[in-house]
Amino acid sequence: MNKDFISVQPISSFNAWEAMRKRRRLFSFTLELSARCNLNCRHCYLNVPENDLAAQDAELSFQEITALVDESSSLGALWALVTGGEPLLRHDFFDIYMYLKRKGMVISVFTNATLFTKEHVHLFTRYPPRDLDITVYGATKDTYERITRKSGSFEAFKEGIALLLENNIKFNLKAMALRSNIQELPQITALCREYSKAPFRFDPFLHLRFDRDHLRNQEIRNERLTPQEIGTLETLDSTRHTALKKECRRLQAQYPQERDCDHLFRCGTGRGSLAIGYDGWCRMCLSLCHPECIFDLRNHSLTDVWEGCIPQALTKRVQNQALLAQCRNCTFRYLCSWCPAQSYLEAGELDSLIPYLCDAAGKRSQSIMKDIPLPVSL
Amino acid sequence: MEKTISIDTVYVPSEEVVARQVGGEFVLVPISAGVGDFEDAVFTLNEEGKAIWDRMDGKRTLREIALDLGTEYDTPIEEIQRDVIGFTEELFRRRILHQIPRQE
Repeated sequence: MNKDFISVQPISSFNAWEAMRKRRRLFSFTLELSARCNLNCRHCYLNVPENDLAAQDAELSFQEITALVDESSSLGALWALVTGGEPLLRHDFFDIYMYLKRKGMVISVFTNATLFTKEHVHLFTRYPPRDLDITVYGATKDTYERITRKSGSFEAFKEGIALLLENNIKFNLKAMALRSNIQELPQITALCREYSKAPFRFDPFLHLRFDRDHLRNQEIRNERLTPQEIGTLETLDSTRHTALKKECRRLQAQYPQERDCDHLFRCGTGRGSLAIGYDGWCRMCLSLCHPECIFDLRNHSLTDVWEGCIPQALTKRVQNQALLAQCRNCTFRYLCSWCPAQSYLEAGELDSLIPYLCDAAGKRSQSIMKDIPLPVSL
Repeated sequence: MEKTISIDTVYVPSEEVVARQVGGEFVLVPISAGVGDFEDAVFTLNEEGKAIWDRMDGKRTLREIALDLGTEYDTPIEEIQRDVIGFTEELFRRRILHQIPRQE
């Protein structure tokens, strides 16, 4: 008998991940429970009011969700990210969460923390999620509520955090870096580091809305930081700066293999994960909502989508030669946030250049890549 | 809570653990706090570990499980018994297995 009966593996370095990726097996999925949110954040790509009946009617039912979780489990998925909108708005959140647990899913939850009750504390104490990620919009009431546009939300947020702290529930804090809170980012960072030992991170890149609402998209654009500001923020955050530099070096080593590739999807989308939208539409990743890359789970099984529709979509090639010419030889490519999903949200095409992202990559690289040698072939 | 594993006792998987096949691996996923001693880990069993696990059906003692395995593996029965006890100790310590009274 082989005596190595049991091995204990941290989830992030689980042996099977790499093998599953190579064989294109589903190992994780995002479960977007609702587009509704109790907040009305200026920068949000999805939220609709919590009492939006049309959005509520479109939501997957509990029975539909459990059927999709069963199918995901049969396909091998081990990790579920539960998000929204605000997922805690679902009256059946507890049932959905426990269903995922009882299927043996490792769970991450993204929430704004303003709706926590003692019942949530009890649930998360007994059945902890692997990650409980909470977004912080401001360190003061004025800034927080300037972004959320909901009176009383800062107090609700603080109460939610206090409940977690009192009950020793682990959580991660993160922030969006916005025009409306950039002046307070140092205080937000300090607040996050005070409340949570997990590494703090901020995201300065704002997606446009999935519903393509022009007014809301303009609000999002107004919240974007300039490329110069993004570069400066990253320079000031030494942990982030060091991590980015390391990742750039790693990606540069892959460069020769990628140079002549004209596949549209060169990220990991559709290769090990997918997103189940609140309305039953499956997306190859959370942000990709191009009509040729979304699939109706009320008319297709998840297995058909995973094994048929997504592989077909993954064969797409870049048609825009200008994109190929510019991106392929760009020395800033390792710091660029361009992807087909962003391209579609910004320009309505999957392969458009996005000048804002080009500028941002250039400014970020001025500090991060200045002492990293360029690939030999450039 | 050190407790000696008895070969004439029945052990069963905790209801707070889900056993699954994932990417060709047989995986135990603890779902509640205090089960499994790592907060951020899953347990994988090799083929032999799975063979022991599959026999923990709430009816058989460890001695009976070892006897049954002896018909499949070309290993002395004393060694199989030691392995079954060792396996059970590891998972019992982590509350992945429970001891139950034998059901006649």
